[in-house]
Amino acid sequence: MHESILAFQKRRYLWVSLIAAGLAILAYWFDDPQEPANGGTALGYTLGTIGALIIVWLTWFGIRKRRYASNVGTVQGWLSAHVYLGIALIVIVLLHTGFQFGWNVHTLAFALMTLVILSGLYGVYVYMQYPERISQNRGGAPRSEFIDQLEDIDFRSARVAEGLGADFLEFVTSGIQRTQLGATLWERLNGHDGSQILVRQGGQTQIVANVGQETALDWLAEQQSVSGDAETAAGIGELSALLRNKRRLLRRLSEDLKLQATLEIWLYAHVPLTAALLVALLVHILTVFMYW
Amino acid sequence: MRYLIRFITRNAAGDAEHNDKIISAPAITIGRATDQMLHLRDRRARLQHACIEPQNGDIHITTSAMAGVTVNGRSQRNARLAPGDVIEVGANILRVIEAPDGVDFALSFELSDQDAAEHLEQSWTTPTSGVAGWSKRRISWSLAILVLIFAFALPALSLLHPGIASLMRGSGALPDDSWWLAGPVHSAHSSTAATCEGCHSKAFQRVPDDACMACHTVDKHVASAATAVLGEARCASCHLEHNEPPELVKQHQGLCADCHRDLPADVSLRPAADFLDEHPDFRVSLLRPNASSTGEIEWNVEHLALAEAATADRSNLKFDHKVHLDEDGIITPDGKRVIECAECHVPEPGGARMQAISMDEHCSGCHALSFDPDDPTRVVPHGDPEGVLQALIEYYSARLLGADPDAVEQRVRRPGAALTRADRDKAATEARAKALEVAADLFERRACANCHEVSKRDDDSELPWSVLVVRLTDRFFPHASFTHAAHDTEVTDCSSCHAAAESESAHDLLMPDIDTCRDCHGSAFARRNDASQTPSTCIMCHSFHFEAKGNYQ
Repeated sequence: MHESILAFQKRRYLWVSLIAAGLAILAYWFDDPQEPANGGTALGYTLGTIGALIIVWLTWFGIRKRRYASNVGTVQGWLSAHVYLGIALIVIVLLHTGFQFGWNVHTLAFALMTLVILSGLYGVYVYMQYPERISQNRGGAPRSEFIDQLEDIDFRSARVAEGLGADFLEFVTSGIQRTQLGATLWERLNGHDGSQILVRQGGQTQIVANVGQETALDWLAEQQSVSGDAETAAGIGELSALLRNKRRLLRRLSEDLKLQATLEIWLYAHVPLTAALLVALLVHILTVFMYW
Repeated sequence: MRYLIRFITRNAAGDAEHNDKIISAPAITIGRATDQMLHLRDRRARLQHACIEPQNGDIHITTSAMAGVTVNGRSQRNARLAPGDVIEVGANILRVIEAPDGVDFALSFELSDQDAAEHLEQSWTTPTSGVAGWSKRRISWSLAILVLIFAFALPALSLLHPGIASLMRGSGALPDDSWWLAGPVHSAHSSTAATCEGCHSKAFQRVPDDACMACHTVDKHVASAATAVLGEARCASCHLEHNEPPELVKQHQGLCADCHRDLPADVSLRPAADFLDEHPDFRVSLLRPNASSTGEIEWNVEHLALAEAATADRSNLKFDHKVHLDEDGIITPDGKRVIECAECHVPEPGGARMQAISMDEHCSGCHALSFDPDDPTRVVPHGDPEGVLQALIEYYSARLLGADPDAVEQRVRRPGAALTRADRDKAATEARAKALEVAADLFERRACANCHEVSKRDDDSELPWSVLVVRLTDRFFPHASFTHAAHDTEVTDCSSCHAAAESESAHDLLMPDIDTCRDCHGSAFARRNDASQTPSTCIMCHSFHFEAKGNYQ
């Protein structure tokens, strides 16, 4: 049975992190530096060193997860520890600062670390929620099946349109060509349907939005009402049915793109912020000891 | 404008088929976006890549893409188009063809069916192809380098040359080395330590004592700092900068108690550590008069335990606090009222000690040195026994002999008659006798004797009295730095520490004992054990450099 990374090995790393954070809090509580608490007291140096080591170790996860041959623990175990120790890190480093903040490189390092951890927490949330939602949305079918269905609908509607004449063919073809989901990251995250279609109005060729194939369906309904013979009407009806199918398919597709993008986008904050954090951490340590 | 686009497709046999489309629009837009007239499914094409439109009677292709658009193998931003020209956008090839009748401009464009499927596939498989085409790796490097530049490289420029440093610091916007500050500089140092290198003279080395000694001098304890007693201690071992709240003196009790808890036998100091239960009882430094071998009074400071000093204060004053502080009030020139401590005991600016008490300012309002009930405004001078007698003689002489007829007593002369010499002598003798009588009263019973210890010599001199010199102890606890200002709270008033209301004698020493202090001041670790007590370390009351307190030159 699937075991969540959070519940991995009976929450072993939750306990490790709780104990680590608890010990840090106890030490801070009982430590009596008799000076304003800061990173330069004995406890401050200790917590700072531990914090820095944890940061380096957490970053190492990015390398460990790619070392498929490594058998130093499982990747699942590493991720579980990564998450829990990352949360404990906030406590440890907060106590290291002695709650002294300012507009300087030291607080910059702390702020970057906090952002990395917050983005990571969001990552945990989506990793807990989204895989389930993605497979529900797909109804258990693999992705390729959606592509195949879409291609099939396009092929069949082009064939029906061909039988209805050049106007229909051009119209439907332009709709097929300009069907577009998730052209930009923003559109993906919003589940935006960027489909468009070419229409002729008063001798002018215009490109108009075709969100959810609505424009196409409206145009077909209009043609339906003016069509004289039963054969044309039947063809238009068949075309409409195909496009309504396509609309349903596109909705699922855009939802899928949205979920998939959300599942991955946080890493675009988590990873680069980690890189920035490592540099800020180095600058923090370097400048502190440069001006010892 | 009417444009013709000839879409060329290949059938299964590979033969070209074409499908003409006529577009009536002012221009043909070309790009990857779906709102483009000619929609390209090539990732190398921009969303709005190029535009074909008439310019000065000709048809031109223009682009805002940096790379331009390739026309006949040459990359251009704006090119005139003529039949036969070949336009390349990514892998797509557009050819300008002869425009048939009724059309202004014609293009042929070969469609690849492969493209459509690939495009969809790409949408699937690269749901987040980065932010605006940036990979995670590229964003990571960019952010890391940005932090390196702004948090390190630019501030580090200040280290290269003082000129650069002042430029960076003066700019207000550029990141200077103040970005590296771990916390604010204490206001006491803000003028001297405007630059980091003022104190941090060498990189990766702790602040040397020389940096402090450039401005400060200290004597006590510092000489021994080099010895084994304090080991490697530096100024900065105790004096810390860049903290919030700013606290220049480290309060750590161990800094004192580690040595003072167990002192060597040959040290006269009593051992002391935590204030709560390891602090000796207070000893008071009392100024006391002692008769020297020559019989003169010498004032010496005597160190006494507080208990044995309880009634040992010798100032040669008589003073009854209890009477003065009567809750029902006492009679004053303004009527009966209650006197407040602060009417006489006024803290010095800063609140550390009390201002000296003087007869003129604090006593004379009630204790006027008047002597004649008939003339209560007439007073003798204070602090001048001979002057007192002189003033009395002059007063009574004037009354007996003075020019003022009304003032002259009738029994000395007859009305209208001039005074004879005998009359004058008699009057002078009478006046002197009266003055001596009153003086004895003043010195022994009334004005002087009210407040002063007066001794009387057993001889025949006219002025056998002497008022004993008054000396008040300036600081009872000279080794403790106490400030009344810090104790002026809602929970403390004078009587919390000084039992003045019960004191009937000036011999009473009204200083609080250690238990009184311990009502509020607890162990250095008090907060943890008893929240009602103020944690009190040695430094709270005692100075380390006590003889020369870090004199600022």
